[in-house]
Amino acid sequence: MSTSNFLDQQFNDSDDEEDFNPSAHIDEDDVQPPATKDRRSRPPAEDEDEQGSRPTKRSRSRHQSGDEDNEDEAGGDEDEEGEGEDLGNDDDEDEEEDDEEDEVRGHTRKRRKRDARLQFIDVEAEVDEEDEEEMEDEEGDMPEEVHPDDLLDVRDDNRDDRRHRELDRQREMEASMDAEKQAAALRERYGRSRAAAIDSAVVPQRLLLPSVDDPSIWGVRCKPGKEKEVIFSITKRQQEQALTREPLQIFSAFERGAGTMAGYIYIEARTQNAVFTATEGIAFCYPRTKMILIPVNEMPDLLRVTKSKTLNPGAYVRMKRPAMYAGDLAQVVAVEANGVDVTVKLIPRLDYGLNEDVNAPATDKKRKFGKPANMPRPPQRLFNETEARKGRNAKFLSVNGGLGRRDYTYKGDSYENGFLIKDYRITYLETENVNPKLDEVSKFAAGAADGTEELDLTALANTLKNSVTADAFLPGDLVELSQGEQAGVVGRAISVRGEIVTLKVTEGMLVDQTIEAPIKALRKKFAEGDYVKVLAGKYQDEVGMVVKVKGDQVTFLADSNNQEMPVLSRDLRLASAATNLPSSGVYDLYDLVQLDVSTVACIVRVDRESLKVLDQNGSVRTMLPSQISSKIEKRARAVATDRDGSELRPDDTVKESGMESKQGRIMHIHRNFLFCQNRQQTENAGIFVTRSTNVTTVAAKGGRVQNAGPDLTKMNPALQPRNGAPNAGGAMAPPKTFGRDKLIGKTVHVKKGPHKGLLGIVKDTTDLEARVELHTKSKTITMKKDILAIKDPITGQSVDFNRFGNTRPKIGGGTPGRFGPNAAGPTPSWGGSRMGGATPAWKSGGAKTPAWSSAKTPAWQGGNDGGRTAYGGNDGSRTAYGGNDGSRTAYGGNDGSRTAYGNSTWSASAKTPNPYATDASSSTWGSSASRNAASPPSNTYQSAPTPAAYDAPTPGFAAPTPGDHATPRYGAGSYGNYATPAGAPTPGAYAAPTPGGYAETPGGFAETPGQWSAPTPAATGDDDPRYE
Amino acid sequence: MSMYPTSTKSLRACMICSIVLPNTTFVNQGCPNCEHFLELQGSSEAVHENTSSVYEGLITLADPTTSWVAKWQRLDSYVAGIYATKVEGILPPDSKAAAARAGVQYIPRDGSATEDSGEVDED
Repeated sequence: MSTSNFLDQQFNDSDDEEDFNPSAHIDEDDVQPPATKDRRSRPPAEDEDEQGSRPTKRSRSRHQSGDEDNEDEAGGDEDEEGEGEDLGNDDDEDEEEDDEEDEVRGHTRKRRKRDARLQFIDVEAEVDEEDEEEMEDEEGDMPEEVHPDDLLDVRDDNRDDRRHRELDRQREMEASMDAEKQAAALRERYGRSRAAAIDSAVVPQRLLLPSVDDPSIWGVRCKPGKEKEVIFSITKRQQEQALTREPLQIFSAFERGAGTMAGYIYIEARTQNAVFTATEGIAFCYPRTKMILIPVNEMPDLLRVTKSKTLNPGAYVRMKRPAMYAGDLAQVVAVEANGVDVTVKLIPRLDYGLNEDVNAPATDKKRKFGKPANMPRPPQRLFNETEARKGRNAKFLSVNGGLGRRDYTYKGDSYENGFLIKDYRITYLETENVNPKLDEVSKFAAGAADGTEELDLTALANTLKNSVTADAFLPGDLVELSQGEQAGVVGRAISVRGEIVTLKVTEGMLVDQTIEAPIKALRKKFAEGDYVKVLAGKYQDEVGMVVKVKGDQVTFLADSNNQEMPVLSRDLRLASAATNLPSSGVYDLYDLVQLDVSTVACIVRVDRESLKVLDQNGSVRTMLPSQISSKIEKRARAVATDRDGSELRPDDTVKESGMESKQGRIMHIHRNFLFCQNRQQTENAGIFVTRSTNVTTVAAKGGRVQNAGPDLTKMNPALQPRNGAPNAGGAMAPPKTFGRDKLIGKTVHVKKGPHKGLLGIVKDTTDLEARVELHTKSKTITMKKDILAIKDPITGQSVDFNRFGNTRPKIGGGTPGRFGPNAAGPTPSWGGSRMGGATPAWKSGGAKTPAWSSAKTPAWQGGNDGGRTAYGGNDGSRTAYGGNDGSRTAYGGNDGSRTAYGNSTWSASAKTPNPYATDASSSTWGSSASRNAASPPSNTYQSAPTPAAYDAPTPGFAAPTPGDHATPRYGAGSYGNYATPAGAPTPGAYAAPTPGGYAETPGGFAETPGQWSAPTPAATGDDDPRYE
Repeated sequence: MSMYPTSTKSLRACMICSIVLPNTTFVNQGCPNCEHFLELQGSSEAVHENTSSVYEGLITLADPTTSWVAKWQRLDSYVAGIYATKVEGILPPDSKAAAARAGVQYIPRDGSATEDSGEVDED
């Protein structure tokens, strides 16, 4: 049949001239209604009618014989119609012959032959032919309406048989719908196309595979992107030439658009020459370069069509087309029934008319050429009513929401809950490889009006689903067939090739056999106890142990949080040794990160895709890594000062002085913010943030603070942590004692505890404690002030600390005690006693403020040291002192210098140290010696009592000398006079050499504490030797 | 018989036969192959439902009866014209039923039928 059709086609082409023949006798034959439509619209379509005439004839004859076949449709009218048809048929045949004679020229040989045959062939014979061609069971299935126009058209004919046929048609007209249907059915049956349609539709496509008899297909190069254009050009050429004597000898031409087959069009023809003819000279088509003949077995591939992914509401897509939104993630809201129009939800990019060019001539012009090219597109932001009202285009805004919904129409687009809701064609959307990122998706999730998250993970999973399958199976995976005949078979994957997995069966009857299975019929098999890692999905990268397996669903206990997580087995893989732990990339726990220019934060929790941070203001936020601008490297050298002015460095332990008194170790110092970690605190991973001015140092790393100059913290008792005594500050009536603790520098006597009975000098104090440097050993011990008794320098009597404390106010006198002069006035006696203890230099310092500090150094620190060294010397030279008097003398000279200063102080003859040293060594030295012997200062001022205690032999010296000097001066309170002349220059002169000389000895001396008491008497007895 | 688009603007493809014609042609004349049961003529709504503006691949078919391409695409019974290899869209169930009643086997043109045939090919 196909051959005959082909011939028919040829015939038509050549027959076209006749179409314009007014006589159009062919039409008379045409009882086939649908054809008329074509004829009306386009004259060439008449060919078809003409073609149809022959089959029609056949059909009629067929009809005569085969009426019974159509009983269902034809009914009672069948007979009548059949008769009519019959009549017409005869006429048709005559006409046909005439036609043949008229138009022999265009006919092919074959055609003519057939026509000729038709002339002589019995109608019955034709019935047979039809039977060959038609499948009876198909016939009459297609109802076809008869157009009344057809019938009208026929009236134009002037043929003899016109009346007959008119009669027939009138009958037909009168006939019911059944008749019309039958007419249609006839047409279905005998019209070439219908029958063929049915034929090929039922034939499986595999039987349609091309054979060598089919025309060949050539691939012709063309300009990529212009394929469609080329096809249209070829169509046009084919149309034009179809009416000529030399129609294009091609059967079809096609293109497959962009993609892998871009740049080629394909032409179906018998000869390559025909392809050239068809494509030569067509724009963008290059037939002369690289034309390929498609092998027969590859021909079906050229026409392979893959179904595009169906979209479901909730799925995520990416925008392709409107340049404004290109690349943006969108969520499908609805898919129109036709599957082409998709309503999506987008985050709008609106500028609310801000960037519009006011001077632009007209909007339509602009719109035509599009603005995205020259304009930066606005950022993604949810629709904002306020801005819309503010903007220039406020007139385009209308609110159409109600009942709490916030829906707007703005410039023709509708916005719901801030999202743009718009219809797009599916071609505008990228449905493959969407790969939505969590931060993008979360923008959609946060959109609920009530603030609740409506993140639909299933939709997300659906979107992500396809990306996984490709590499879901790896060789070595234990898999189980879940579908098909072999369902349940378990094996190990050997190789994965595309969608096909080859597996070796490990269990059951098929064991050790190798079978192949498509990926979709497989699932991974896991057993309880397997250690698995999640490859994809919500729990991606979690690792854990399988606790339950139910079909595809595997529940495992995650390592990270000990929670059970259900996942699809497809997303799991046995965790190997090389499993890397989840991390969020560049950011780790406790990292300090920069959020924006003015905000820093410390990471307190690292989730898979998000981070929880504690910012400098103390608020906790959940951030995405992308929202963090940078990580701030830890600066070990960062410094801040606490509220006392002490230096703070990372890793120092500090305590908040505020309400919570949180204590913690400094992790980061950023400007004046401290990020501290307190391991006792559970929230925020133990991190809290505070200001540096709000903390006090509890412990500095490596005890650094002690070395770093005066520790102001310790000098201010109010700031001291009161460990033992809560509210101690309150208990000490006036917690603030200004100035220097009077206790400092006092010689004290320990009343209790392990050091009971020892003497020492208070070096430093806090509220409750004092650091006492013991005389016995060069060791400074912290002890409670309560257990100290102060030795009166003059009387030598112990004064209980508390009493001493009571006198303090008197001492302080509300004046900065530090400044001696003031203190001296109100409490001369005390000052005298005390200052006496401190030796003249101190006195002089007291008298004159500037000299004070320097005075301190030489005088009693130096003296002190000297005292100590004295012991050192004493102790160290104890062995030597017996036999080595020379050295003693030498020391005497040395001592003399010291004595000199003492003398100079007293006598105000500063410039004569040596004479004093030699001459007055004994007498002057008596005092200093005795002082040194038993805790220098105290000794001095309690020279009277002390000697008895310590210096049995020395009293003689000691008593008179200091007594002479100290008593009058202090007693008179006129020490200022003495101080003034001597104080400033003298100590300075002596300070340097004296302590310096002795400074080296304490170490040695420290080792011999016990010996102190033993040699002392002797020393004191000798006076001088003590200094050796 | 043939039917070619008169312009290349607002072309649509019939979801049943995949012929590509301008929207106006569909409305004015219906689908040349499927009109008898789709009845597109005069109804732009019907045209909208049964034809699709989203299609891929153009086939210009000069001789449907001889062409293997036509046979493979099951266009061999249709008029000459331009056809699409793939037509996106979902045919309304009514139209599917109408096609079935008319004895036309509906072949989805969106590629969903190819998978089956593809498997058959491999057999």
